[in-house]
Amino acid sequence: MNKTKARSEHIRKRAKIEEKYSWDRMSDADDERQSHSTRAVIASIVVLTIFTLYLFKLYEVQVSSHEYYATKSDSNRIRIRPIPAQRGNIFDRNGKILAKNITTFDLIVKKEKINNYEEFLSKVKTIIELSDSQVKNLNKQFRNKRIRDITLLEDITMEEYSKISVDKHALPEIELGVRSRREYLYPYSTSHVLGYTGNVSDSDVYSGVIDIQEGMTEVGKLGVERFYQNILAGESGFEKLETDALGEIIRTVETKDSKRGDDVYLTIDIDLQNYAYEQIKNKEGSIIVMNPNNGDIISFISAPGYDLNLFTKSISTENYNKLINDIRKPLINRAINGQYPPGSTLKPFVGLIALEENIINEKKLINCSGAYSLKNHKRPFKCWKKEGHGPSDLSYSLTQSCDVFFYRVAELTGIDTISENLYKYGFGQKTYLDLYNESSGLIPDRDWKYKIKQEPWYPGETLNVGIGQGYFLATPMQLTLATSSLATAGSTFVPHLLLQSIDTKTGDALPYEYKKNKFTTPYPDANKLDIVHHAMWRVTNENGVGTASNMKRVKGLEFAGKTGTAQVYSLDAGKSDKKKLQDHALFISYAPFDKPEIVVTVIIEHGGSGSTAAAPIARNIIDFYFNNNMKVSSND
Amino acid sequence: MIDYVGNNYQSRGLSNLLHIDLKLFLAIIAITILGLLTIYSSSSGDMSLVIKQFTRIAIGIITMVFIAQVHPDNLRLFAPPLYFFTVILLIMVLFFGVGNTADRWLDLYFIRFQPSELMKIFVPLMVASYYSDKPLPPKFTYILLASIVVLAPVLMIMKQPDLGTALLIAMSGAIAILLAGISIKFFVSSLIIIISLVPVLWMNMHAYQKQRVLTFFNPESDPMGSGYHLLQSKIALGSGGFFGKGFLNGTQSKLGFVPEHSTDFIFSAYGEEFGFIGVLLLMFLYLFIALRGLSISVKATDNFGRILTGTLSLTIFLYVLVNVGMVIGFLPVVGAPLPFMSYGGTSMVTLFATIGIIMSIKSHQRILRK
Repeated sequence: MNKTKARSEHIRKRAKIEEKYSWDRMSDADDERQSHSTRAVIASIVVLTIFTLYLFKLYEVQVSSHEYYATKSDSNRIRIRPIPAQRGNIFDRNGKILAKNITTFDLIVKKEKINNYEEFLSKVKTIIELSDSQVKNLNKQFRNKRIRDITLLEDITMEEYSKISVDKHALPEIELGVRSRREYLYPYSTSHVLGYTGNVSDSDVYSGVIDIQEGMTEVGKLGVERFYQNILAGESGFEKLETDALGEIIRTVETKDSKRGDDVYLTIDIDLQNYAYEQIKNKEGSIIVMNPNNGDIISFISAPGYDLNLFTKSISTENYNKLINDIRKPLINRAINGQYPPGSTLKPFVGLIALEENIINEKKLINCSGAYSLKNHKRPFKCWKKEGHGPSDLSYSLTQSCDVFFYRVAELTGIDTISENLYKYGFGQKTYLDLYNESSGLIPDRDWKYKIKQEPWYPGETLNVGIGQGYFLATPMQLTLATSSLATAGSTFVPHLLLQSIDTKTGDALPYEYKKNKFTTPYPDANKLDIVHHAMWRVTNENGVGTASNMKRVKGLEFAGKTGTAQVYSLDAGKSDKKKLQDHALFISYAPFDKPEIVVTVIIEHGGSGSTAAAPIARNIIDFYFNNNMKVSSND
Repeated sequence: MIDYVGNNYQSRGLSNLLHIDLKLFLAIIAITILGLLTIYSSSSGDMSLVIKQFTRIAIGIITMVFIAQVHPDNLRLFAPPLYFFTVILLIMVLFFGVGNTADRWLDLYFIRFQPSELMKIFVPLMVASYYSDKPLPPKFTYILLASIVVLAPVLMIMKQPDLGTALLIAMSGAIAILLAGISIKFFVSSLIIIISLVPVLWMNMHAYQKQRVLTFFNPESDPMGSGYHLLQSKIALGSGGFFGKGFLNGTQSKLGFVPEHSTDFIFSAYGEEFGFIGVLLLMFLYLFIALRGLSISVKATDNFGRILTGTLSLTIFLYVLVNVGMVIGFLPVVGAPLPFMSYGGTSMVTLFATIGIIMSIKSHQRILRK
C-alpha cells in the first residue's frame, strides 16, 4: 500500500513534471507561423531596400557615368599607331638625284617590351658584343622618349640576322626592323648644302620652325633638309588598332595613309658642284656660284666637306668626336658662317662709294710711294708694292690693287659714309638665303666701336676698312651677293637654293618665288659703275697689269674680277697650334663680262695671294661652266 | 492534432508531377540562358565553353528534379549525416587539398570538387534541421549550438583560405538563425561582438586577402595592380550604357581587359553588352527568385521548411548582392560567383540543388486540417 502510494506519488510528480515539460516543449504552430511571416516580410523589405540601392548605383555607373567609362573603354582598346611618311627626295636643278631614301634592316627592340633596362642590357651583351660607345648610344636611345624602338644594330644583312636569330631565345624581344634611311649620293661635296637628317630630339620640337608630327622619326637637322623639313616631311598617316589586354593587335579599325613628302629640286648643278668641290677639297675655304639675275645658287661649297651618310646611321661617338676635333673644322659651313676680312675684294665697293659721293672722280690721281703716312700715326700704312705705284687713278688702282690709293680715298670719304653705304651691297646683314643660322658679317662704325671696345674710332682704322682689313668682316655669301649687285647694277635677288618642289601625289610643281632684295637701290650713275666694271675687267684681262691677268684665258668669253689677299693673324691650321700671320686668298668675279650670268666667289683660307690661289679656281669654274654647255636659264 | 491528409499536387500537369515550381524554374532558366550568351560572347564564340556550361546546367537541372522528389522529412533526417560527412571532407581538404593559390579542391580521382560549396547547402540544412524540433524562438543554448554548427566549417574554409565562401556561409548561417526567431536585440548585440572580432580576423588574413580589402577602399590607388579587376569591370559595365554595346560587341571582356569575365566578373561582361536594360531584367529575375522563395517559406507547414526555404532563397540573393556589389564597388573583391550565370561546375550544381530543396518543400506542403 505504502509502496503503491509512493508509486502513485511518483507517477503524479512525474506527470506534473511531464506536464510542465510538455508545456514547455509545446510549440504553438500558429504563433511560430505568424512569427515567421513577420520575419519574412521584414526580410522582403530589407531585400527590396538593398535591391533599390543597387539599382540606383547601377544606374549611376551605366547611365549617368556612361560617357566617362565609354571613353576609358575606348582608350583601353584603341591604340593609334602612326604611319610615318616617306621623305621627299632632293634633286639638283637638272633632276639628278642628290638625296633619297633607302630601306635598311635594323635589329630593334620595342621599348614597351623592356621591363628592366639593366637586365635587358646584360642580355644584349650575351648576344652581341657591344663597345662602350655603343652602350652609351643604347642608353641615349632608351632615354629619348621620342624613340619607340631601340636600334641595337643598324644596316644588317639577312645573313647577320639569321646568325643572331640562333641566340634569339636569350632575348626574345629582338625584332628585325625595316626602316627607311636617308642616303646622300654626293655626301662630301653637298654636305653644307643638304645637311642631314636624324632622330627627332627635344631641341627639334622646341625649335619653332619644324612641324612635329606623330610618328615622325627623322627630321632634317641642317642645311636644306632642315630648312625645307616641312615640305620634305610629308604627312604622317595613322592606323587605329584594336588591341587586347595584352597589347596584341586584334584588328585595324581605321587607316589613314601617309602622304609622301614633296620632292625638292635645288638650284644647284651637281656637276659644277662636284667640279668646284674637287678644286678645293684639300683646302679650307668656300666657293659660291650664283646667277646674279635671279639669285639661283648654282654651286655652294664649304670645304672640307664631311660624310653626310655617317649621320643618317646614328653616328658613333667616335666618328662624331673625330669630326668635332678635326683641326680643319669640316662641320663649319664656311659659306655662310665663315666671316672673313675681304681684303682687296672690298676695294671696288669703296671706290664706287667714293665716286658716287663725289669724293673722287675717275681722273683723280693719288700718288703711291709705297706707303701712306697718317698724321699722329707713327707707323706708315704700307702698300703691297714697296716701290709704289706712282700717281694712280681709281681704275689703275683697282687693276693693280694699290693700297695707298684706297687709304687716301677712305680717309677722304670717312668711316661714316663708307659704313653707311656698304649696307646697300648687302654687307653687315644676313642675305636670307634658305639656310638657317647664317652669320651677318660686320660693318664697323663709331657706335659699334664704342659699344664693343668703349673706345673712339681712330682714323687709322678707317684706312684699314678702305682696303678690306681691320674690323670689317663678310661671309662668302655676302661677297657673292655684293658682287651680284655690281654685276646687275643693284638689281639683286634673295639668294636661294630651292628651285621648285613637286607634290609627289599630284605631280604639281610649286616653283620658287623669286624675291628682290630690299636693301639695294638702283645705282644712280651707270657711268660711275662702268668705271669699276672696266677696272674689274682689267684685273683679269690687262696683261701684266691686272692682278689676275696671268691666267690662261677662258675660251670664248671674258670675265671681270677682283683679287683679295687678307692678312689674318690666326692659327696655322693643320700645321701647328701657334698663331701666325697668314693670308686668306679671295677672288670675286662675274662672267661673262658684258652680260653677267654667273657670279663666282672663291675664298681659300691661308691659301696665299688671291691672284695665285683663288683666281685660277674661279677661272676654272667659269671655264667649266661655259664650255660644258652648262648654261643655266635666267629668269629674264 | 494535425492530420496528414495528402500532398497538394492534384492535377496540375507535369511540373506538379515532378514537384517543380514552374515560375521559379523558368526564372532560373532565363538567367542560365543569359549566362550562356555572355560566356559565348566574352569567350569570342568558343563553343566548347558553352557546351561545358550547358552540360553543367543539365546536370544541375537533373539534380534539382531529383532533390525535389525527396520528401522534406527525409531531408531533415539526412541533414546531420550529410553535414558531418562534409565537415570530414573539409578536414581532409586542410590536409590533402589541391589548388592553384589556395587549397580548396579535393581530388577524389574520379571527381574534383570543393567541399566548401556543399557547405553552402548543408549549413542552412543543418541549422534548419536542428531547430525543426525545438520550440521557437530558440533558447540561448540552442543559438549557441547552432552557432557552433555554422562556425566550425566557416573557420575551416577560412583556413583554406577562401574568405569569400567562408563569409557567405557564415552569413547564410546567420540568416538561418535569424529566421529561426531570435530577438533582434540579441542579434544586434552578437553583431557588435563579431565586429569587435574584425581585428582578430584581419591578423589572421593572408596578404592577398588584406590587399583585396585595402584595394576595395581605394581601388584607383593601384589601377594596374589589385584595383585593376575592379576598375576594368566597372569600365565594362559603365561603357555598356543604357542599351549596351550589343550582343557579341563587348570589347572590355572580349579583349581581356575584364579578368574572369566568364566567372566572377560575368556581370560586367553581361552589363557591357546588354546595358542597363539587360541589367534591370537580370536583377528583377533575381529579385523574383528571392521573393518567390520567401513566399514559399511563409506557406511552408513546419519550422524546418520555413527556416530552410527562407534561408536558401535569401542566401541566393545574398550571393547576387555580393557578386554585383563587388563589381559596382559596394563590396570588396571576394571570389564569389554570380548565381546561375558564372561559368563553373560546383556552384551551378549546388545552386540547382538549393532550388531543388525549395521546390521539394513547396511541392510537399501538407494540407492542414484542424
